Amino acid sequence: MIEKQMTEKESLEIITKMIERTKERYSLGDGNILLMWGYLTVAVSLLVWGLLWLTHNNACNWCWFLIPLVGGIATPLMAKNKHKSGVVSYSDRIISRLWTTVGLSFLLLTVFCLFFTYVLRVDCWIAMLIYCLIVTPAAEMVNGIVLKEMSMQWGGAIALVIGLFTLCCVTGGIPLGASWFMPLFILAFIVMMIIPGHIINIKASNNA
Amino acid sequence: MRELNPLLHSQLRLAVMSVLMNVEEADFVFLKEKTESTAGNLSVQLDKLSAADYITVEKGFVGKKTRTVCRITPRGRKAFEDYVDALRDYIG
Repeated sequence: MIEKQMTEKESLEIITKMIERTKERYSLGDGNILLMWGYLTVAVSLLVWGLLWLTHNNACNWCWFLIPLVGGIATPLMAKNKHKSGVVSYSDRIISRLWTTVGLSFLLLTVFCLFFTYVLRVDCWIAMLIYCLIVTPAAEMVNGIVLKEMSMQWGGAIALVIGLFTLCCVTGGIPLGASWFMPLFILAFIVMMIIPGHIINIKASNNA
Repeated sequence: MRELNPLLHSQLRLAVMSVLMNVEEADFVFLKEKTESTAGNLSVQLDKLSAADYITVEKGFVGKKTRTVCRITPRGRKAFEDYVDALRDYIG
């Protein structure tokens, strides 16, 4: 394209053409970050579940911290590669801010849980599980709505149902037995992150 | 009938503004690809838009490579909207 004067009709054509070309880029991208968090959470859940079953030692629960530790390091590294596309759309910004907010709220909740555990001597780590199964699915649904990706919306919705069920169990005084709760927790992350992640990757490879 | 903004009534500058109206930010390579322009010409036009405070141009580094990121300003957005309104008047 060279710099030259043009007619009004040509102006309109350029605007339309540029909107079309910019729209081409609004693809889903890849589902790798989603897959990383999904598989990481499932793997750590299986690890904690297995260790608790083998050792009956509650100290094994410290392994949960592997999720934010590994995920917190891997996410910015993976997001850096996404930046190579050369453009940041409004939806990219919304999604980035959404998950940053979710991440920060988890960090804050962790601080509260540590404070309650070591200062007030009250165990409130269950709040983390409930929060994880309500806020993450809600964020996932919003992400899916922004990207118009049904698998994320449905996955988030199913996980949210599991989260609300967990909330009712906890507030109703029903103990969360590992034998049924852990599979439910893992299922939530499979439907919320692993399945949509693979679907997005298949769509991305079909569009390539 | 309103006069078309001469700064926007130019093929490449209008193309750049049209792209930037649709995104939060875009880098030089992306703009060059979408507008199918040469680096030299694009650079000149970006300077003109930047001088008019229609866009901001931020130069940074990604690893060892330089990366120029452009964003539309509120003034640029307003100018573009006015330009489109004026265009409507012309086309009727």
